[in-house]
Amino acid sequence: MSRSEDELDVIRAAREARGPVLRRSPGPTAWFDIRKTGTGHWAFSLNRITSLGLVLYLYLHLAVLSMLLGGEGSWHGFLEIATTPVFLGLDVLLVFGLLFHGLNGLRVALVGTGIATERQKALFWSFMVLGSILLLGAALHIIGSD
Amino acid sequence: MDTRTFRVFRFARDDGPSRFDTFEVEAAPGDTVLDALRWIKIHHDPSLAIRHSCFHASCGTCGVRVNGREALACVTRVGDQDEGRVTVEPLANFPVIADLVVDMTSFVQRFPSPHPAARISEFPTSPEVPPGIDEYQRFEDCIECGLCLSACPVAATDDTYVGPAALAYAQRILEEPRGADVGALLDWADGDNAAWRCHAAFECTEACPSNVRPAQRIMHLRRALTGGRDGGS
Amino acid sequence: MTQSASRTSSGAHVLIIGGGGTGGALAHDLALRGLRVTLVERGEFTSGTTGRHHGLLHSGARYAVNDHESAVECIEENRLLRTIAPGSFEENDGLFVAVSDEDMEYLPRFLEGCAVSGIPTQQLTPEQALRLEPMLNPRLKAAVRVPDATMDAMRMPLRFFATAKRNGASLLNHLEVTGLLVHDGVVSGAAVRDHVTGRDAEIHADVTVNATGPWSERIATMAGVDVPIRPSPGVLLAVHGRLCNMVINHLHASGDGDIVVPQRALSIVGTSSWVVEDPDDLGVPGDHVARMVTEGSKLIPAVATATHRAAWSAARPLIGSRGDADSGRELSRTFKTIDHAAEGGAEGFVTITGGKGTTLRGMAEVCADVVCRKLDVDEPCRTRETVLLPHIAYFAA
Repeated sequence: MSRSEDELDVIRAAREARGPVLRRSPGPTAWFDIRKTGTGHWAFSLNRITSLGLVLYLYLHLAVLSMLLGGEGSWHGFLEIATTPVFLGLDVLLVFGLLFHGLNGLRVALVGTGIATERQKALFWSFMVLGSILLLGAALHIIGSD
Repeated sequence: MDTRTFRVFRFARDDGPSRFDTFEVEAAPGDTVLDALRWIKIHHDPSLAIRHSCFHASCGTCGVRVNGREALACVTRVGDQDEGRVTVEPLANFPVIADLVVDMTSFVQRFPSPHPAARISEFPTSPEVPPGIDEYQRFEDCIECGLCLSACPVAATDDTYVGPAALAYAQRILEEPRGADVGALLDWADGDNAAWRCHAAFECTEACPSNVRPAQRIMHLRRALTGGRDGGS
Repeated sequence: MTQSASRTSSGAHVLIIGGGGTGGALAHDLALRGLRVTLVERGEFTSGTTGRHHGLLHSGARYAVNDHESAVECIEENRLLRTIAPGSFEENDGLFVAVSDEDMEYLPRFLEGCAVSGIPTQQLTPEQALRLEPMLNPRLKAAVRVPDATMDAMRMPLRFFATAKRNGASLLNHLEVTGLLVHDGVVSGAAVRDHVTGRDAEIHADVTVNATGPWSERIATMAGVDVPIRPSPGVLLAVHGRLCNMVINHLHASGDGDIVVPQRALSIVGTSSWVVEDPDDLGVPGDHVARMVTEGSKLIPAVATATHRAAWSAARPLIGSRGDADSGRELSRTFKTIDHAAEGGAEGFVTITGGKGTTLRGMAEVCADVVCRKLDVDEPCRTRETVLLPHIAYFAA
């Protein structure tokens, strides 16, 4: 090998020593990246996060319903927990998750079939306004129904 | 002369971890972020590695993230940034070679074949073209800058997704085949990591500096895949 | 093309300093001749002057009257590039447009100059011109069609890099020459700093070529030789809107703002001319930008009201000694290969400079001939018939 070939190999080896370097490995941590400020990024991320939350809720819901098998006594025990402020707060959070996931999902479905692609940002915010109104109503109902 | 504080991402491949360097830069409001970066390189630190070429948003080499948003440094005005520090980072979802220089190889390799550069020009409409010329040509809008891939949350989640630029290009070929094998292209778009992985964040269209509108084109591509209209936009 | 990456029978190694169009085309030419080539560029390829121009593929008509040599170079390379880089041009031709009586006086000399230089022309009436380009100044007096075309100023040269890389050339960007290795008047390579790793290194070569355009003198000084290059910048202005498909030129002797080149959905108005000392510090004089608007709108009135996308400067590498010229327009736009050994300067060192974006292949051929002669390598140039790889091939792993 000639001298200059050796020299170039040294330069290349130094450049490649660390391999390809990604600042952030691809993965679900991207959904929590607060440096990202775009609306679309958060719509996407919240959709993922609420879907996880809703799956978890589904499991809990089934677990709760199975308490009925334990008879009236265990069901009353559950109702005591279910009327605490923390639990009611979680109920509101659940409604938020349902509304956001549902309405944003509706936007994705519409846009995905070619409807309103040029006005999708307006569509998103309209749905968010609608969802906020519904959430407020639901929250008042849940908390006020005590 | 106005001075702005710039916080610039630094990474040298032989060195330790990455860091941010802070520079006080002489930058008038009308200067661009690229002007500021070159000023840093010439007056402060010649080791700052940056990419640029055309200075007018046509070559797509100067893509960076300015205060967290994707931008071409050459047409991003310092005066348009919020008060305070201006943070400049390399594009997301690209491997970093050094400082603000990213490796475009994997981005370019996602494009389908063929990759025609020219298309029929749609404006300004003229009654005639010169004899001997069939129709006026122009280059495709996409300048392969990668801002769309940097902004895409799906690409941030999974780097096997082909990404908005590649799909938008495929849709353009559907619109104007130029001799391409449209069937093969639709098969490619129908694949595991292609058109069906988009979740309509629309960040790509938001970031695109060249009016490609990749998100809309992906939706049109899906219409074509489900037997709808032929992908016209 | 699958030339082996290993050395030729002579084992010679050529180091090219400068990753603009000229350096890239030279790497391509030498690689095809079987030489081992290393190219080093301190920034991104084409980040000097090459990437910044408006993208004109010259017909040469602009030089037909006053710079015959450049005109002939241009039209020959114009034709060649379309065949070796197909698909890289908007082949819409161009117009030279007369808008005043003085312009009309220039017309006969223009047509004659083009004829003598072998540049085909077609005279058009104002009505015909407006049918081809509806946004032209409706008060134009005459138009001449010429074989101009539009290229992407970064991507077309990148094809040379892609092909050279495939043929075994080592292309290293972000590697800056900090000095030349000189001993007893012999240049044996360069000292470099790698901006990717921060490390210093040396690269030895049998011939070192200075292809740094307006930075030519800075590199030549490292070898202790002189190169008569004056960096001559000009301002360019990109406005929103594709206002024409053909290249629109002002039919007059060279002046400011006398060309409008379409680039995708933008229109580039250029250019102006002054001379500087430091090619890293060009500036963008506001009055020049204003002049682009004034002059450009004489050709296409919509320029006056179009919003601005970008304004920047690019430095031409003009050949001329320190005493010549003040504005840069008087200096020739041809190119020059200087074998510094022949002038008693330095052995092992060649400078290729001057020229324009359109003539990159031709410049490289002449320089490669000189380099091969110095190395006693007898290989013909093959770049006229070699079709270049597409630009994205550059990024192939």
